[in-house]
Amino acid sequence: MKVTFNKRDPVYVQVVRHFKEQIATGNLEPGQEIPSRRELANQLKINPNTAQRAYKEMEEAGLIFTQGNSPSKITRDENIISSVREELILEAVEDFVSAIRPIKVPIEEVVGILKEKYNDDVFERRDKND
Amino acid sequence: MIEVKDISKNFGRKKVLKGVSFTANKGEITCLIGINGVGKTTIMNAIMNLTPIKSGEILIDGEKLSKKTFEKITFIPDAITMLPQMTIGEALQFMKDFYESWNSERANELLTFFRLKEEEKISSLSKGNTAKVNLLLGLALDVDYLLMDEPFTGIDIFSREQIAEVFTSHLVEDRGVIITTHEINDIEHLIDKVVLLDEGVVRKEFHTEEVRENEGKSVVDVMREVYKQ
Repeated sequence: MKVTFNKRDPVYVQVVRHFKEQIATGNLEPGQEIPSRRELANQLKINPNTAQRAYKEMEEAGLIFTQGNSPSKITRDENIISSVREELILEAVEDFVSAIRPIKVPIEEVVGILKEKYNDDVFERRDKND
Repeated sequence: MIEVKDISKNFGRKKVLKGVSFTANKGEITCLIGINGVGKTTIMNAIMNLTPIKSGEILIDGEKLSKKTFEKITFIPDAITMLPQMTIGEALQFMKDFYESWNSERANELLTFFRLKEEEKISSLSKGNTAKVNLLLGLALDVDYLLMDEPFTGIDIFSREQIAEVFTSHLVEDRGVIITTHEINDIEHLIDKVVLLDEGVVRKEFHTEEVRENEGKSVVDVMREVYKQ
């Protein structure tokens, strides 16, 4: 696990976001065990208090659950998982829209370029992996 | 909790500390930031009772400094205090003989973690490795509070990363740490609390996550605001 943190958003928020991405893409599967807060702090090179805070937030949001003394696990609730995915997509699109709107490009043109770039990117990534 | 209450200190006619107050909690990493000569080391020396203060008070877990409070706290100065002709192993033995709170198991764990060899002479170590031995000697004591004076200064990036890693591990967890630095970049994500010092006074005291959350500012952003006023 490797995350590059920015300096202006709370670190715990960035950790939660990282987990959301992993859940949405299926890298973390429903019911999968996650590291303890101490392990996470060590892996991500963050303060254990921050890891604790991130886990508390995720627990409250229902993204992870803990039974008794066993390690925390990723939620099995399909509704939560799909809403995480939706949330991430919406966020990214909103960011994109607010960046492109001031340039005043007709939507058709945007969609065209978007399609082109989106596919380019897929190919580039495949090339790199080969 | 370490409470520093309105402490003042003069060196001759020079007023070094002019009423400094802040607190450092157990289980948190508190960072004293300020340019050279601002009194960071003097504050640490005062907490350890290594230098007399003119006025003010320092409490550790609500108690005044006494023989008893020194069992709870250790100071890692910016230069190693062992004799240079000693080997690392001899230095560890010296600490073991001297301190009841010495934890040999943890000392060995740290030796492995820092990849240090017991038979090496302290005088023959690189700067980075000397800093690591120095840190080891403090971290292997079972105390509640650790004071570290400039643990990152003058050492290479990889050693710095290794030392930073200590802060994310059980070696520091649950203890109260006060560290001084003027290079905040490497450790911005690691610290809980910042105390900004300037000309012998505390200009600002804040929790890093709160400032990020409520104001969207990095530690350096806040420093810029405070010091450029």
